[in-house]
Amino acid sequence: MDWASFFQSFANGLLIAGLYAAVTLGLTLVLGVMGIVNFAHGEMVMLGAYNTFWLFTLVGLDPLLSIAASGLLLFFIGLLMYRFTIRPILNDPPLNQLLLTLGISIFLQNLAMILWKTDSRSVITPYSGMSLHLGMVHVGLTRLLTFLIAVGLTIILILFLYKVRSGRAMRAVSENNTASWLIGINVQKTYLLAFGVATGLAGASGALVSTVMYTYPMVGFKLGLKAFGILVLGGLGNIPGALFGSLILGLTESFVGTYVPEGSGWAEGISFILIMIILIIKPTGLVGTRRE
Amino acid sequence: MSRPFSWKKSIFLVGLAIFLLWYPKLADPYFLHLTVAAFLAMILASSWDILARTGQVSVGQAGLFGIGAYTAALLYKWIHLSPVLGMFSGGIVSVFVAAFLGTLTLRLRGIYFSITTIAFAEALSVIWLMTPDFTGGAMGLSTPPLFGGNREQAYYLILALLALVILVVWLIQTTRLNFAFTAIRENEEVANVMGINPTRYKVLAFMISAFFTGFAGGFYSHYNTYIIPYEVFGLGISIACLVMPIFGGLYTIAGPIIGTIVIKAIEEYLRVTVSYGHQIAYGLILVGVVLFMPEGLVGLWKKTIMRK
Repeated sequence: MDWASFFQSFANGLLIAGLYAAVTLGLTLVLGVMGIVNFAHGEMVMLGAYNTFWLFTLVGLDPLLSIAASGLLLFFIGLLMYRFTIRPILNDPPLNQLLLTLGISIFLQNLAMILWKTDSRSVITPYSGMSLHLGMVHVGLTRLLTFLIAVGLTIILILFLYKVRSGRAMRAVSENNTASWLIGINVQKTYLLAFGVATGLAGASGALVSTVMYTYPMVGFKLGLKAFGILVLGGLGNIPGALFGSLILGLTESFVGTYVPEGSGWAEGISFILIMIILIIKPTGLVGTRRE
Repeated sequence: MSRPFSWKKSIFLVGLAIFLLWYPKLADPYFLHLTVAAFLAMILASSWDILARTGQVSVGQAGLFGIGAYTAALLYKWIHLSPVLGMFSGGIVSVFVAAFLGTLTLRLRGIYFSITTIAFAEALSVIWLMTPDFTGGAMGLSTPPLFGGNREQAYYLILALLALVILVVWLIQTTRLNFAFTAIRENEEVANVMGINPTRYKVLAFMISAFFTGFAGGFYSHYNTYIIPYEVFGLGISIACLVMPIFGGLYTIAGPIIGTIVIKAIEEYLRVTVSYGHQIAYGLILVGVVLFMPEGLVGLWKKTIMRK
């Protein structure tokens, strides 16, 4: 066995898993707290990526600094989206929520096509080409930085959920929203904040996406579907599950890419196969409880 | 559920039939082409609605459409099967796939069913791209023009299929199937207790829906003379299948038809105005319907009548 290529694939898989985790976190948060699967989550990532691309191209802002800009922009877009579209249908059947967020997703994809055409764009910084040698393994500097930032975002989210008052309120609401309301938590405000934080995370991960892959109108949809695959793999609506799922998907894609002929093309289909197999075998996702 | 015989309705239907049969002589080629495209979309919309009547909201009809399209194109490529038989085979292959998929997804409720259907269509797209020797890959497949490019004949073929779909929807609506489908949609457990076998009806609805969607796929392949996986397995088709009936009004005969006419008109206008992204209207309409008019255009019309 060629250990160098094994470790290289392992490293690549691990690095991409960090990005997947960053994309999936917001989706998990909204599902966990509000019980809603936000189909437009991927489009929030796409908008974050475009925001980073344009700030870099027009103003020359470093994409890593854009993380804050994209995060903030999408945080506010998320607040607006929640207030005007999600809040009115909170008590509707889940299918209406699916159709609504799917509608927003389609709208944003096509808006991006109208505004920015279907071209694939990339952010190329002076340090894009640099890489580090760690033993047998080559690691692109941008990929490594994206991974570290993704890990940082995850840690910040976990600290927020466990240490900060409004974050703890989110966990309380996700356990039981009536009881949370009874002990004086403002459930509406918690939903609003959770939604904003989730889309903000999507925006921040969009900035990361723009540095390691092409930015095009459907990039968010593809990543969103992968995030669903990760969700069903790791259990619906819990953060450790999302991290575990990201790791499994990232590594599987990377190993398939290395060891299967024409594997990088097949790797794109793994998340879809995972979704189908896992949901069909266990309709509630691999781990976790049923959410209606 | 038999209704009293109505002269007004019969005269309207006979008049409509005569008009539709006469139509190719009246319309110019551009309008004839638009009408064929609209009829194709109506078939997709109505067959999506049949499936939705059992509570199964598919976001992956493109999977069945693409299978129908490729079955027709591949059978032509391999054995030069006549296009109409090819389309029929497309429908049949889709039925088998739907019977299989429908049985596997029986236990999935609501959004989990929907997510699985998206994954199904996307997975097929990957498989098709990755097996170019068999499927033609990203380059797609081409077929010679349908009926030697005679649009009138194509029009009559798609009109016949549309009439058949509407007949099937009408049969579902006026027979005991309507009660079974509605009961399963409202509450599957209760339906089961009442002696309705949800398994049988859910798979049956999936198979009926798949036959027409697959046949339509086969028609598209021959009519368009060229198909690529990105398009026939694409999200755009799945979205079109569901937005049109939702906009028009769910679980009605007229809803999917009316929804398709209005959306196709908007889409055609946008197609000439913007080069990419004319599906933006689908997104807006979906959001608007969920927020403001849950019963679609038909519901809106009924409400206006009631007020008078």
